[in-house]
Amino acid sequence: MTWAGPHRWLQAGLNIAIVAALLFAVSYLPPDTSLQDRRRDGVLKVCVPPLYPPLITADPSRPGFDAELADAIAKNLGLKLALNVLPSIGKDFNPRNWSLTRAQCDIIAGGVADTVQTRSFLQTLPTPAETGWVGISATGAMPTSGGTVAILPGTAGLDRLALSTWLRKQGLRAQLMRSPAELEQALNSGTVAAGITERFVAASLRLDTNALTMFWLDESISPRFRMALGLWKGDQTLKRAVADTLELFEKSGVMLRLSARYGLDKDIAEPVSDPQK
Amino acid sequence: MTSPIVLLRGVYGVWLREIMRATRDRGQMIGGVSRPLIWLLILGVGLNPYFRGEVFGEVRYVIPYTYLQFLFPAVIVLNIMYTSIQFAVSVIWDREFGFLREVLVSPMPRSLILLGKVLGGSTVAMLHGALVLILARFADVTLSIEQMAMALGLMFVLAFGLTSFGVILAGRVRSFEGFGVFSNTIILPLYFTSSSVFPLDPALTRTQTATAYPEWLVFMVQVNPITYAVDALRGILIGFNQFPPLYGPAVIFGMAIVFFALALIDFSRS
Repeated sequence: MTWAGPHRWLQAGLNIAIVAALLFAVSYLPPDTSLQDRRRDGVLKVCVPPLYPPLITADPSRPGFDAELADAIAKNLGLKLALNVLPSIGKDFNPRNWSLTRAQCDIIAGGVADTVQTRSFLQTLPTPAETGWVGISATGAMPTSGGTVAILPGTAGLDRLALSTWLRKQGLRAQLMRSPAELEQALNSGTVAAGITERFVAASLRLDTNALTMFWLDESISPRFRMALGLWKGDQTLKRAVADTLELFEKSGVMLRLSARYGLDKDIAEPVSDPQK
Repeated sequence: MTSPIVLLRGVYGVWLREIMRATRDRGQMIGGVSRPLIWLLILGVGLNPYFRGEVFGEVRYVIPYTYLQFLFPAVIVLNIMYTSIQFAVSVIWDREFGFLREVLVSPMPRSLILLGKVLGGSTVAMLHGALVLILARFADVTLSIEQMAMALGLMFVLAFGLTSFGVILAGRVRSFEGFGVFSNTIILPLYFTSSSVFPLDPALTRTQTATAYPEWLVFMVQVNPITYAVDALRGILIGFNQFPPLYGPAVIFGMAIVFFALALIDFSRS
């Protein structure tokens, strides 16, 4: 029996395998020093607002979903958590005015919505928390044309323009609220037919739960967004490490336990179909 | 009359020859690796810090991706462009050394000979584009199987159009040396004016864009077909489109049909 010589694809296959292996090895090179810097300092700085329940609370025994998550991430990365509470976060609708700097924060949490607008400035890693416009009324639906609706927009950056356009289209009268307390008062006293606010603002209201029901507004008005941890653009290695940690938490059930502890797994009623559509 | 099976085997033979010649050539393979390494590793990582935010909101680069993610699809197109257009060298080589004459006197129609050659060149160019996909992890681009399949399909059609363009060029250039210079004067301007390394912000109006960039540059970007090829791949790989999403595939398929038809006319006359 004679040897037929090397297979005709052997040389080609070898060349392709060599360059593919080289590129594969290169893909594991760190593109920046963000994680290395954090490890050198031993500290992970996370900026949060003073209050954004249930993501950030004032209760040290239950500091909030994002606060506990940040602590677990820091521990998993072998770092010490430095929680920088900055009153500027959420004070203004425009995040530019929060004046957050790289020196203050490695990660921004407690009210970062995973929107295109946020992703223009930050890289985001979504968490299980979800936000969007919710309605609150006695009937579990929005009133018919002519009714008055109390509106408290909140600071998560939901689309106010789409909401006001929808309210006008429905023939509803909007009454702007200045604080959660004012919205609470309007709803509990029944001076308005319904209220609309952001999901986590609604969750923090002290409402008469026997008389009032909370429900999502239809996503055609404004889509719901996942809340997220925000990292500076370009901090790839830190982002990868945090993303791997979040994945680990998903698999090990840590995320599920935290969600349950802060009631993020509680269902909010879906909107009833709109007869005027 | 030659049977379709025999004709298809002829196309396969021409295709296989192109594949073998390209993949056995270590120089070509190294070229296919060095470009993405230079562009992503050196330019991408080098410029990445200049496109990141230092103060929340205080950044001019407001597209919702990192610079490496933005650059990644463009580097795939660059690799395809180089390999496809350089394919003309193979046509010039075959013409210079008489292989083309031998093939042209065979019973195979010229259109099928051309098809085999262009398919071969396109396959090699797509392979070079696919090599860049291995660097997706480095650029922080997460890809699903569907995204990969769609990207590979589009990359093949783009490679088909550009390889046909290479054949058209080969008909007009007589020497290897001339083609080397000529191809660079075509590839690099096409690449740099395709919004590959800088974004035209889709959120801006025409007037606002014209205040960020001179109007002649915006015009060049908008009339450059490679702009739409890069945009189509960005749409698939990172979900970012600067133009309506259908423009990219339409331009890529249009280029493939028009350039192949023109290449066929040239090839039939040669």
